[in-house]
Amino acid sequence: MNTRTQRPQRQDSTGGTAPNGDRDTAAFDRLYRDHVDRIFRFAQRLCGQADDAKDLVQNTFLNAYRGLKHFRGDAQPSTWLYTIASRACIRMRRKRKGEPERQLSLDEFIPTSEGEFRLQIPAEGLTPEEALANKELRGALQQAIRKLPEKYRLVLVLRDMEDMPAKEVGAIMGLNERAVKSRLHRARLFVRKELSAREFGQPAGAAGPATPSRRLIPARPRD
Amino acid sequence: MKTSRTATQARHGHSKTHCLKILRRLSAYLDNDLAPGVCEEIRKHLGPCPNCEVFVSSLRRTVDLCRHVDTPPLTSTAKARLRSQILRAAGRP
Repeated sequence: MNTRTQRPQRQDSTGGTAPNGDRDTAAFDRLYRDHVDRIFRFAQRLCGQADDAKDLVQNTFLNAYRGLKHFRGDAQPSTWLYTIASRACIRMRRKRKGEPERQLSLDEFIPTSEGEFRLQIPAEGLTPEEALANKELRGALQQAIRKLPEKYRLVLVLRDMEDMPAKEVGAIMGLNERAVKSRLHRARLFVRKELSAREFGQPAGAAGPATPSRRLIPARPRD
Repeated sequence: MKTSRTATQARHGHSKTHCLKILRRLSAYLDNDLAPGVCEEIRKHLGPCPNCEVFVSSLRRTVDLCRHVDTPPLTSTAKARLRSQILRAAGRP
């Protein structure tokens, strides 16, 4: 977050003559107009549900409106908004669940048998677009992402879905790059495990007796 | 136990420990985030090790799917409604 840019407020054409409140609203409108689509997309990827995503967008831009006066332009406005949204997402989750987050151990994703090594993602051979046209696979992927503990989900969404460099993800989450990459690897392994354990039309654990190639990978104790 | 380990080694030509070492670095490998020598070592491992080959392909597939998830945009009406709600909550008319 070292790139110094102009405050969105300063870019506003009404600055100087309009009353403070109007200037704030004009600066807010500019910020909202330029970034609401991106933040809504981010929120949907994080929350999975449109209504929850709208709540997160509202929360994010309300906090941005209140913080606009203090935004010094140390970061790009989009990075600033992603940071606010990420914090709001964590706060909203804590309010709902009120329990500490689960840590993902690398060991729980390491296969213990050849069958587990060979677990594949359904719809192999199709392009990602073709595969995702299947409602069940799309749903399974969204469910897998939603099941991720928040701090891993945020990293996966920012890095693999919003296509941000690890350094920027670190700036948003207050982590060094090494920690970002470590969380990302665990998050990807989690999603892979969830998807590979499913058949179309059969949620994990509901497919009757597990076959060696389709059973869930058992968790191993942490180091 | 000893027999099983020997059997695995016979099939793969290397120990399972080597596979696990590779698996721990696969995201960095997929992101081209490793030194060229390490990448080469992993590439050499993947060819003769079908287990790791399938594993890396399924992990790559997972990342590809994540990258292609599409989300419906906000409608203009929803955007305007959200804006009004935010400004009202902020104490602006």
